[in-house]
Amino acid sequence: MSAITSFLAIFRGRRLATFGLIWLLIVVVAAVAAPLLAPFDPLDFDPMVRLSEPGWPYIFGTDHFGRDSLSRALFGARMAVLIGLGSVLVALSTGGLIGMLSAYSTRLGHVLMRLVDVLMAFPALLLALVLMALLERSVLNTIIVIGVVYATTTARILFGLTLKLKNEVFVDAATCSGAGHASILFRHILPNLISPLLVQASFIFAFSQLQAAALDFLGLGLPPEVPSWGNMLSEERIYITRAPWLLIFPGALIILSVFSMNLIGDAMRDSLDPRFKDDIAGV
Amino acid sequence: MFVYTFNRLLALIPTLLAASILVFLFIHLIPGDPASILLGDTATPEEIAELTRAMGLDKPLWTQYFIWLSNVVQGDLGTSVFFREPVLAVIASGAETSILLACMTMMWIIVLGIPIGILAATRHGTWADQLASGGAMLFASVPTFWLGLYLILIFAVGLGWFPSSGFPSITDEGGVFNLRYLMLPSLTLAAPNAALIIRLVRASMLDVAREDHVRTARAKGLHPARVAIKHIFRNALIAVAAAFGFTFAALVSEAVVTETVFSLPGIGRLVVQSILRRDYPVIQGVILIIVIFYMLINLLVDLAYARLDPRVSLS
Amino acid sequence: MALLEVRDLEVGVAIGGKVLPVVQGISFDVEENQTLGIVGESGCGKSLTSLAIMGLLEGSMLRLTGGSISFNGQDLLALSPRARRAIMGDQMAMIFQEPMTSLNPVYRIGDQIIESLRQHRSMSQRQARARAIELLDLVRIPDPERRVDSYPHQLSGGQRQRVMIAMALACGPKLLIADEPTTALDVTVQKEVLDLMLDLQKRTGTAIILISHDLGVISETCDKVVVMYRGKIVESAKTATLFSNMSHPYTQGLLASIPVVDHDVEWLNAIPGRVPLIDEVLPGCAFHPRCSFAQASCATSPPSADYVSDDHLVRCHFPNDRPSGGEAGGDA
Repeated sequence: MSAITSFLAIFRGRRLATFGLIWLLIVVVAAVAAPLLAPFDPLDFDPMVRLSEPGWPYIFGTDHFGRDSLSRALFGARMAVLIGLGSVLVALSTGGLIGMLSAYSTRLGHVLMRLVDVLMAFPALLLALVLMALLERSVLNTIIVIGVVYATTTARILFGLTLKLKNEVFVDAATCSGAGHASILFRHILPNLISPLLVQASFIFAFSQLQAAALDFLGLGLPPEVPSWGNMLSEERIYITRAPWLLIFPGALIILSVFSMNLIGDAMRDSLDPRFKDDIAGV
Repeated sequence: MFVYTFNRLLALIPTLLAASILVFLFIHLIPGDPASILLGDTATPEEIAELTRAMGLDKPLWTQYFIWLSNVVQGDLGTSVFFREPVLAVIASGAETSILLACMTMMWIIVLGIPIGILAATRHGTWADQLASGGAMLFASVPTFWLGLYLILIFAVGLGWFPSSGFPSITDEGGVFNLRYLMLPSLTLAAPNAALIIRLVRASMLDVAREDHVRTARAKGLHPARVAIKHIFRNALIAVAAAFGFTFAALVSEAVVTETVFSLPGIGRLVVQSILRRDYPVIQGVILIIVIFYMLINLLVDLAYARLDPRVSLS
Repeated sequence: MALLEVRDLEVGVAIGGKVLPVVQGISFDVEENQTLGIVGESGCGKSLTSLAIMGLLEGSMLRLTGGSISFNGQDLLALSPRARRAIMGDQMAMIFQEPMTSLNPVYRIGDQIIESLRQHRSMSQRQARARAIELLDLVRIPDPERRVDSYPHQLSGGQRQRVMIAMALACGPKLLIADEPTTALDVTVQKEVLDLMLDLQKRTGTAIILISHDLGVISETCDKVVVMYRGKIVESAKTATLFSNMSHPYTQGLLASIPVVDHDVEWLNAIPGRVPLIDEVLPGCAFHPRCSFAQASCATSPPSADYVSDDHLVRCHFPNDRPSGGEAGGDA
């Protein structure tokens, strides 16, 4: 309970960040309840109502196949949350583990961090593109690719943070009391890294939305039939003059979600332990 | 300075070799026979046999790597499956567009990012600061292609001020006025990056403003503007310069999208099209060149950093 | 008329829409060629008082909320920011506590001195540079022609503080404010830097406000002493008067906490407790929780500042009704 209260305390007096939190809650609710909330099947198309303007019964209008934009947007929230959480999970677990182990064992760190350096020599989207060129377009592959791209930065950050913590007194105390390596890493060091990890997670979540949208736009992300905000933009872009709403709604959803996550990340970073603050570069 | 630069260049070699191994392995990660991948679907068995022999594809992997590496060092990056031309020539044909786009974008980033960042920092806590830093975060949250599409809709289709797509070379008819084709793309590409620089300039200036030496400067009776520029901004520039390497990486990534939106004949669109065309030799070549370029940019950033901060020793 | 006349100075800190007073009712004079010491523990408002006089409170959460400061016959608080800046660094200069961080790391020390000079004097770059070398020589930096091109990180702490002094003296100020100028330095260097300041004062006739938590330093260097506790003056007098007749228990406590080198002391007579925080409400005397002579009335009514003799001001309910405490009180 106290973790939740201290998390909520971050938002006291920060109206914008509170707005961000509320918006993200709405997105999560939409994602979970998409089948209940959506008035139509997101995949059903009706050529009779192609490109209809926002109104009743198509609140967000319909696309060039005559599919209901609102329903697609609601199911798109599902993809947004899935990709966000998925890439955060991949990035933090792999990158976090590499970073922590590298800082903990200097010899291993030499090899692993070199590898991270090499991977960081590839600009993020380029790395994602190249990996996608090797893989099939699928939800899982998109998540893995984006996660791997941000695993490198996460590894760098966690490497720095763990190095700082490694030399603190409580780690010496744990070593002296006979704690094993795994115990020191996961029971003594890791709990201290939870807050910086959460901040990093919120920024990865934000970036992953933009990356996924860019991959969708380039035709190298989610399969075209999957209703995602990026695919909605990508497919309807040639109708921008005839049916501008088709790009405004999904675009606004992406912007609002990324903006919200950045606001939350920023607020969380501001309330972070000053020792860790400079290590995490967000927006 | 010269010795330092030389040593830094030498230090790049191990990373570069490691990156080249990754780039080399790229072809081998694709399922299928490398020779047919490199030659495309239309290759005859004779062509495949010829390439297999030339690249040593029947030899151990490390032999293949050294054959490939020695070719690369001599400027032979292979042949494009799609264009039937040397990869280096294909990449070179996109270089003008991409380099000019990058230069114009950098100009926007500096012209917009730095003054707005300084303004936000010096007006810390006022509505101007909130507008600048909030606006910057909003722009950093906009998908590049979405912004590009709406800039086309408003300024090309609606107002007709700028062309919406393509880029004739500045050596063609129109000369440097052809740069107007890059106006909207460079603004699109600059927006999220300028936003990052605004936030970075602001944050580092606020950090520096708390340092003791700024109080010393104020105690000299200097005008606040002079304190802000000569003392606060000058010191904050050290952190900002360090971030320009990241900005370049972001620029490359977003250039891929931007060149696609505006149908610019640059290297970024070449990557995407090559991926869609399965033109693997070109993908491999472009990645190698971008990685080398990125490392050189990072070296330049480090050199600039050392010049900006006298505490960094060059020995 | 004194060079500097401070009357009823008040400084507050703005927290969440409210302004809490942190410095109250500060009044003192500084004459030309004289040294005034301000002494007290950290958090007593010494530095804030000096920043307020200098005009450096702007841009922080601190506000000057009342009082007047007259310098050289001018009402400083009535001046425009521009006119105020014309005085700062020229007629009035300041040296800070942290020599390690008080110089800008990215500029050569010569250029930082030149900046001060050219801000207030119309000098060519070459003249200013020659003057900067002179000043470095004056503050006894060895090899000044070469050192003028050094960066701050290439100098030791003591040398940096000398550079700060050179910079402060660049325009020949009438008043030099030195905020704990030696605290961050090694003990051996402390004395050198203090001697340098006093020596320069003899040559130039500059008035000095020396801020310190060390009553020992103050006793050796100052003509007059102001003792501050929690934002107020608790005792002030000529140095000789003060040390012969210490009347406030806080002053006595400060003296008792000076380590006496020739005794074989095993512990210091530090004053028990700590300075109250600014948001703590104390209706009576702010020192009473730490005062070994406190009576019941000390907790309820604030003492007023009264003269116990000419120029000797004490803010205490019982300035003379108790035995003198502390080691130096002796059998006076």
